[in-house]
Order: sequence, then structure tokens, then C-alpha cells
Amino acid sequence: MTNDVIATDHPLTTSQQETLAALLDTLLPASDDGTMPSAQAVDLIGYLTEKNAEFIPVLVEAIGHFDDGFAGLSLSDRYPVVEAFSKAQAELFDELLFHTYDCYYQDDRVLEGIGMAAGPPFPTGNTIEAGDLSLLDPVMQTSRTYRKYDQ
Amino acid sequence: MAGASDNDPVDVLIIGAGASGAAVAWSLAETRMRIVCFEQGDWTNPSEYPSTRKDWESQQFGPYHINPNVRGLETDYPINNDESPINVVNFNGVGGGTILYAAHFPRLHPSDFRVKTLDGVADDWPINYERLEPYFSKNDRMMGVSGLAGDPMYPPKQPPLPPIPLGLVGETIARGYNKLGWHWWPSDSAIITRPYEGRDQCLNLGPCMSGCSQGAKSSVDITYWPEALRSGVEIRTRCRVREITLNRQGMADGVVYYDEEGTERHQKAEVVVMACNGVGTPRILLNSESAQFPDGLANRSGLVGKNLMFHPVGFVQGIFEERLDSHKGPAGCCILSKEFYETDRSRGFVRGYNMQITRGTGPLATALQGYTSGTIPWGPEHHEAFQKRFDHVASIGILCEDLPEEHNTVTLDPNLVDSDGIPAPKINYRLSENSEKMLAHGLARAEDVMEAAGATEISSSGVLEDAGWHLLGTARMGDDPKTSVVNSWGRSHDVKNLFIVDGSIFVTAGGLNPTSTIQALALYIADTMKKNLANLFD
Ligand SMILES: Cc1cc2nc3c(=O)[nH]c(=O)nc-3n(C[C@H](O)[C@H](O)[C@H](O)COP(=O)(O)OP(=O)(O)OC[C@H]3O[C@@H](n4cnc5c(N)ncnc54)[C@H](O)[C@@H]3O)c2cc1C
Repeated sequence: MTNDVIATDHPLTTSQQETLAALLDTLLPASDDGTMPSAQAVDLIGYLTEKNAEFIPVLVEAIGHFDDGFAGLSLSDRYPVVEAFSKAQAELFDELLFHTYDCYYQDDRVLEGIGMAAGPPFPTGNTIEAGDLSLLDPVMQTSRTYRKYDQ
Repeated sequence: MAGASDNDPVDVLIIGAGASGAAVAWSLAETRMRIVCFEQGDWTNPSEYPSTRKDWESQQFGPYHINPNVRGLETDYPINNDESPINVVNFNGVGGGTILYAAHFPRLHPSDFRVKTLDGVADDWPINYERLEPYFSKNDRMMGVSGLAGDPMYPPKQPPLPPIPLGLVGETIARGYNKLGWHWWPSDSAIITRPYEGRDQCLNLGPCMSGCSQGAKSSVDITYWPEALRSGVEIRTRCRVREITLNRQGMADGVVYYDEEGTERHQKAEVVVMACNGVGTPRILLNSESAQFPDGLANRSGLVGKNLMFHPVGFVQGIFEERLDSHKGPAGCCILSKEFYETDRSRGFVRGYNMQITRGTGPLATALQGYTSGTIPWGPEHHEAFQKRFDHVASIGILCEDLPEEHNTVTLDPNLVDSDGIPAPKINYRLSENSEKMLAHGLARAEDVMEAAGATEISSSGVLEDAGWHLLGTARMGDDPKTSVVNSWGRSHDVKNLFIVDGSIFVTAGGLNPTSTIQALALYIADTMKKNLANLFD
């Protein structure tokens, strides 16, 4: 996992970092065509430290559910392990998934990968078609009108 | 007037700086009376709205949540929704609900004011569409409304700005409606599509419902309020009103409120105008008990807090093979359909609903919704499933007319209080059989539209929980003091210097978003007050 936080200040041990990287890569692996990065390539710890530090101890708890060998497994072998965890620890898993998705879907590479502009919506904005108002012709050709009544 | 200190009496005290409070303040300003507005919340800063941040979507799960119980800001008050399938949502600050609203801006129809005469249910309003028409138009100009003239479902009207772009979502769904031969029309939207009155046009950012950083969405903090302030009205933020006080003659003489430090104060006023919305207003009236009004102020009819109407809402989502650029453009404003707006008893219910076509969600909401619905898994299949849905979606909201029923109420919670110790509102609400049938009909018809438009996958949900956007009916207007709280121009039958201008005074709810009508009513009431200034309390 890329991380520019100095190692000694890192809230996770090296082995916890390895487990987390494998866990994130299982949740959201890179796409086959390379357009979408793996979730281990976005800086979840940096993001949480800045925005949601209170979740870090919960994350550590989640990591604690995986043994040391987990990081060394292949993706296909990791998947059933994470699936079992998602069922046994549903609430914890949902929280982990929320933060992972939250961080992932703000990353510029990810946004560009799904066809959005990088960065926040403002001030770039979007262009959309005004649309073909002649589509209204059939609506105007009917005798339909609003409901009238005697005053 | 700027400069009136806390202890100086004011001529007019408006409580609440939302949609209606702003409109009434602006209109009354020309009288040059000393007008002060108390607002419990703060001004918001558009440059801090979520759409300026990369984490804009998750902000909507926290500080910009539409449900005040989840948002939990100091300026919010808690609401007990335990006895209601629909939660009240709001915003408490200058601008009120318009800070977060979607800005879908239809007006009530002429028939909505004559429900009893036409359909034999509920009650007629003491005023009609024709009376309000000039105020609808004035409000459209003041707010900056975009739309297209010529909708056959309305008497002629001319929105000041051209319509919001249909985009691929609008065009696709419009084709579905055309296939079925059903009505549709571009939505009137309180979003400016061209530079207007010093504001720049919509950039199609998407997330309108967490504040518009561009200032193109017409929230009243940037429309009415700047003009009202320039004309001498004063807003005092972080002033939370606890109760309205009375003099010996039974006239309102001011309010007890808490300032920013939580200090209890009294403000004297000649006229009090309530603009706290359909939940906030009955709450304060019910909390203003006295020997003269043991059941709450202005409540001799017993109807304060009764007849609460939301609009029960359901959604139908369609997934399309082709990309629709769904995340682009105003989320809640696109096109609408009034095909099933009026009564047809063969459908098994009376009155009807609006179909509001909305665009898609952002990536985080798409992924999370996909996870909960089981349509977008985590793991190796995530990206493919995500790409099939994100930007390939269109939705139709079904907004049902809710009829007034006395058992749907806002009362004071016996235990829950806000941070100043004021009792919180408690909501008791149940969906009527009529609404249930209407919603089921609407969802089925929206599925027909999706199918006709070519959706490959269709799903329905409703009644939506966090959809108590529209708060209506809890201090209804009418000519008879026994069956209404205020008269036909918003004046309390019981307390002649107390006015109500917010959504509480609706007699019936119509089947569409109410803010255009709320503001037209506020302008109409202000105008009537101005015309009657010499004998306002007679
Ligand atoms: C998420 C969302 C989306 C919406 N979308 C639409 C839409 O597309 N179209 C539409 O027509 N409507 C929409 N609405 C509804 C719209 O916002 C309301 O109809 C409108 O704002 C109501 O106006 P009002 O003046 O009655 O009250 P509000 O705008 O709610 O204003 C009431 C004000 O009173 C203040 N207040 C309350 N109690 C006190 C007190 N005791 N002391 C001091 N101040 C107090 C509050 O802080 C608030 O600022 C939406 C609302 C929400 C929340």
C-alpha cells in the first residue's frame, strides 16, 4: 500500500499494514483492463487519519480477525476468508466497506476510471445536452388540459 | 431595521428565516416598519458546501444529512419519529429547507384548491389559484425559476428562464412517456439556467441537495434575504424561540427566546409572524400555553398540530444499457408527469400523484446502494457490476397527495427536549388506505414507463423513510374559526396580531412539491397585511 506517512508514526504495525493491503485488495481488486486501481493503492490510512481518525482503532480490530498468513494468500483464496468475516462480523464489515468505498470513490484515478472528472464537482461542473424539445410534440397535440371547474 | 437592540420593541417579529419567512420579510420591508427575523440556525457559506470537497458524498451521511436527528447540529432540534413510517427532514438555518431542497418547483393546480367541491373529500381552500396567480409569478421572478411555458396541465404561465437541460435521462424517459401517450413536461425548477440578478448559471454539478456552491440553486439566503436586508430587515441568527407571550388583552406581545449563549431573553413585538414550517410552528404554538390558551396558543379550534400531511413517496429505478450520464445535472429536477394527478375513481383511490423524474446518484451512493441491494458485490466482480449501473440509471419518484386526517399529528414529546430544554416535536402519522393504494398504483405505472423507455432492469421501493420533506397542514387556513387556525390571509382567528405564513396553513397538500405555493401564500399574506395596515387587528 502506498503511504507517505513516516513509518514510525504509522498507526499500524508492518504486519497489520500487510494484512490491510491484502484485505483492501480483496474488497476491490484492480480491474483486469487496468482502468480501475486496487483499493490497496488508495491511501485509506492517510484518509482516515485526516477525516475519520476514530475509525482507526475499529479498523485495527477488523484486521485482528485475519491471521498472519492471510496476506500471503492468492486473491481467490482470500475471497472466501473475507466472505466468512463479512458474515461473522457483519456490522464491523459494513463499517469497513463504507470507509473503503468512501475513500476509493474520491480518488482521482478512480473517478477518471468511471468517466467522471477528477476532483470535487465544483467548480468544474458538467455539460449536458439541452435535449430535444420536439419530443413534446405528441404531448401538445393531445386535447389534454388541466382540470377546470366553475368558480 | 438594522440597529434595533434586543430590548427595543419591534413592529414585526418573524420567526424562521426559511422559504416563507424570507418572502414575507422582503414583501413587508417596503412598509419601513421595524422588522426583525429570529432564526435558530446560522448563515451557511456556499464555498464550504460539500460539492467543493472530494468527500462531498460522505458529507451527506454526516453534517449535511437531511435528517436532523442524524445530522445532530447544535442548531437542530430533535424530532421523535418513532410513531411514523416517514421521518421529518429539514434544514435549520438562514434559508431553511431551501438550503438542501432539490428545487423542483411546481405550483399547486387550480383543482387543488377545490378538493371538496370536485371530489367530495377533505376541504376547499378559502382562496383559489386565481387569487394566488400574481404571487406565483412574482415569486418565480424573485427566486429565479427555469421552465418551459405551454404545459397544458396548467393555466398559462411564463417562467422567467429557459428550462433545465433534459439530458440523456430526460430524453430517454420522455420517449417512454410518448410511447404510452402520457403527459410529461420539463420541470419548473428554482435553479437558474442563465445568469440572473447577479447570480451565475447552473453548472450541472449534480449534488443540489447538500447546498449549491455555484449559487445557481435559488435558496432564499441568496434570493430574498439579500434584498430584504438591503431594505432594512434584520436577521438575528442563533435566536431560538421557546414561546409566544400574550398581554392582558390576549394579543401577542413578543416571544421568549434563547440567544447564542443559551441565555433566556424576551423580545417585544407588535406583530408576530410564524414561519417555522409545518412542524416547527405547531411546536412553538403548543409550547405557548397560558391561562387564556391552556391547549396552546391560537388553538381554540383544537387543530394546531393536527392534519399533518407529508407526501408519501416511492421510487422506481430503471437501469439502461446505454450510458445516460446520470450523475450530471440537477439531481431532483428533470421532467415530470401529471398523467395521474387528478381523480379517477376507477383506479380505486381519490386524488392523485406527480411523477418526478430524477437523475442518478454519485459513485459512493451507487456502490453502497448496490451493496445493500445485492446488485453490486464487493470483490472481483465489483467493477463490472458498478459500470453497468453507474451513469446508466434513471428514477421516477411518485409523490402522492396526502389527505388531511386529524390523527396525523405534531405534539410535544413529554421527554425529548432540544439543547435549550424546549420540548421536541413528536410525530404520529400513518399512511391512509387511500395513500397506500395510490402509491402502489404510481409505482406500477412508473414501472410501465421504465419498460416503455427500454430499461433492462426495474426495481421499486416505497414508502421512503427519510422523505418527510414537505410539512403541511398543521395550522390550516379557513373561514370558520371552529375548523381552522388562521383565516384566509394567515391571521390567527384567536390572536389577531399573530400570523402564520409557512406550510402549516395548507388546507390540502396537492400531489406535488409545495415550496412555490408556500412562498406565493407568504407574499399574498404580506400583501394583504400591507393593504390592511390601518385596521390589521380588526
Ligand atoms: C432534502 C430536502 C429536499 C426538498 N426538496 C424540495 C423540492 O424539490 N421542492 C420543494 O418544493 N420543496 C422541497 N423541500 C421542502 C422545502 O424545503 C420546504 O417546503 C420549504 O423550505 C418550507 O418552507 P417554510 O418556510 O415552511 O419552512 P423552512 O424553510 O423549513 O424554514 C423554517 C425555519 O424556521 C426556523 N425555526 C424553526 N423553529 C424555530 C424556532 N423555535 N426559533 C427560531 N427559528 C426557528 C428553522 O431553523 C428554519 O430555518 C425539500 C426539503 C428538504 C429538506
